Amino acid sequence: MRALAFKARVLFATRFAEMAEYRAEVVIWMLSGTLSLVMMLVWMAQAAAAPGGQIRGYSAPEFATYFLSTWLVSQLLVVWVSHELDFQIRQGTLSPQLLRPVDPMWLHVASHVAERLVRIVPLLVMVGVFTWLSGASFTREWWAYPAALGLAALGFSVRFLYEYAIGLLAFWTESSASFQEVVWLVYAALGGMFAPLAFYPEWVQRVAVWTPFPYMLGLPAQLLAGKATLAQAGRGALVLLVWLAVFWVVRLIVWRVGLRKYGAVGA
Amino acid sequence: MTGDRGGAGDAAVRVRDLRKGYVVHEKEPGFLGSLRSFVSRRSRVVEAVRGVSFDLAPGEVVGFLGPNGAGKTTTLKMLSGLLHPSGGEVRVAGFEPGRRENAFLRQITLVMGQKQQLIWDLPALDSFLVNQAIYEIPDAQFRATMAEFTEVLGLEGILKKQVRKLSLGERMKCELATALLHRPKVLFLDEPTIGLDVNMQESVRAFVQDYNARYGATVMLTSHYMADVTALARRILVIDRGEVVFDGDLARLAEQGGGGKTVRLQLRRPATADELGRFGSEVRVDGLSAELTVPRALVSERAAALLAELDVADLTVEDPSIESVMASLFGARAGQAGQPERTPEPV
Repeated sequence: MRALAFKARVLFATRFAEMAEYRAEVVIWMLSGTLSLVMMLVWMAQAAAAPGGQIRGYSAPEFATYFLSTWLVSQLLVVWVSHELDFQIRQGTLSPQLLRPVDPMWLHVASHVAERLVRIVPLLVMVGVFTWLSGASFTREWWAYPAALGLAALGFSVRFLYEYAIGLLAFWTESSASFQEVVWLVYAALGGMFAPLAFYPEWVQRVAVWTPFPYMLGLPAQLLAGKATLAQAGRGALVLLVWLAVFWVVRLIVWRVGLRKYGAVGA
Repeated sequence: MTGDRGGAGDAAVRVRDLRKGYVVHEKEPGFLGSLRSFVSRRSRVVEAVRGVSFDLAPGEVVGFLGPNGAGKTTTLKMLSGLLHPSGGEVRVAGFEPGRRENAFLRQITLVMGQKQQLIWDLPALDSFLVNQAIYEIPDAQFRATMAEFTEVLGLEGILKKQVRKLSLGERMKCELATALLHRPKVLFLDEPTIGLDVNMQESVRAFVQDYNARYGATVMLTSHYMADVTALARRILVIDRGEVVFDGDLARLAEQGGGGKTVRLQLRRPATADELGRFGSEVRVDGLSAELTVPRALVSERAAALLAELDVADLTVEDPSIESVMASLFGARAGQAGQPERTPEPV
C-alpha cells in the first residue's frame, strides 16, 4: 500500500511539474473550448426576443447560468488521451511505456489529474469574469456544489475510459481520431452543450437517458443552475457508476486484444 | 505458462523456431494509385523472422548482427515482449515475454535510440525518480545505483538539466542509466551508440562492460559500429532475411566470411595492384602501404613469396576486419537465388 501511495505521489508530482511547464498553453486551450459560451450568447438573445422574455422556462440570465455551468463542467471533463494514444501507437512511442511494470493508463491518469490542478485557478477566475459579464446567477444550495463536483469526477472517469478505448482503436486502424470526433459530437449534443436536453425532441431524450452523457455534463450543470434535485444527482451517479464499470471492462479487453496487434514500429 | 520455468533450463534467453510475419499494405504512387487502394487495398505478408533458434547463457554478452531489415530489431522486440511472435517459443529469464508480467519486466530492459523513457521537459533526475517509484526500488539501492552510474557514465552536472537541453551523448547516457536503474538481469541494446562521437561510444561501451561484470547480466547487442561488438561480445549471432546464418565466436565468423587473412605491407619501393594481385585478392594500394587478402592455408607461403619478390619494410598478418567479413558474408548470400526479401525499415 505504501509503495502504491509512493508511486501515485511521484507520478502525480512529475506530471504536475510537466504540466506547469505548459501553463500558458493550458489557459489558451481553455479559451478554445468555448462552444458553450457561444451557445449562451445565442440562447440569451433568443430569450430576450421571445414573448415574456423566456423560452421553455429559461430567461436570459438562466440561460447564462446554465451554459456557463456547462462550460465549467466541460472544462473539468477535458480528456486528450485518445489523441495521445493514437500518436503513440502509430509512431511506436508506446514501446518504452510497455517495458515498465505499470499499466501506461496510470501515467495518462496522472497527467490529466495534474493538468486539472494547473487549470483550476485560471478557470475559476474566468468563471468569475463571465458570470459578471453575463449576469449569470448560480444556485445558493450548498449541496449542489459537492454533488456537481462528484458527478463531474465520475463523468471524467467515464469519459477518460471510453476515450482511452477509442484511442486504442489505432491498433487496428491508421488513425482513431475520426472516431473520437464522432463520439465528441454525441457527447456535446446529448450532454447539453448546444441546448438543455429538455429542448430536444422526445425520442432523442428517450435515447439519451440510456447514455452517460446527460449525467456527466448536463446534470451537474443543471445542479449548479439550481434546476436539478439531489435525488436526480443520486440517480445520475448510479448510471455513471454502471457506465464506469462497462467502460472499465471494455478498455481492458480492447487493450489486451490490441496489444497483440501492436507493431511497435519506429522507436 | 510462467509456471513452467524449468522449460527454460539454465538459459537466460531461450528461443526456438521463432517467427514473425507482418501484413504490409501496398499502394501504387500517385492519385490513381490512391484511388485504387481506396477501393481495393492490396496487402501481403512479409516474414521478418523465419524460424530463429538460439540460447543465451546467464552473463553472456552476444553481438546480434545483420544488415538493415534482417530481423534484428523485430527479434529484440519479441524478446522484450513488445511484439507477439507469429510462431515459435521464447523464454526470457524463465518468462514468456508476450505476457508482459511485472516480474518479467523487472528483469529486463530494452534500449532503442535516445528518446525513450526520459521526460522531455523535466530534468533527467525526475525520470530516475519516476522509475524508482515504478520499479519500487528501495531508497538505499536507488542511491547506490545512482552513485555508481554517475561515476561510470560521468552524469555529474547533467542530472538537473532539462532533458531537452542535453546533448545527444548526454541524453543517451541518461537513457541508459534510466533503463538500467532497476538492475535488470537481461539487457537488449539496439544500436546503443548510434549517432554518438567516438569518446561517447567508448564511454557507453565501458558502462555496458562494467554493468555486465558487476551484475552478471546477459546482454544482447545490435550495432552497426563493429567496435562495439568486438569490444563487448565474445559470441556473435548473425541474422539475415529473418534467419540465423551464423552463431559462434569472432574468429570463426572471420573464417566463415571468406576464410582469408589480411596481409598488410609497408613497402620501400611502390608496387602496382597488378603486381600484388599475384599474391592474393582484394588488393588495396595507397602509396607505399598495401593490403591484400590471402587464403588462410596459404598465408605462410604467400608471405614468404612477398618478402622474397618485393622490397618489403614490414609485413603483418591479421584476421580481417569484421566489417569486411560481414560484407563478404552478406554479399555471398545476396547472390544466392530464391532468397526471401529483407523487411523494410522501420520494423
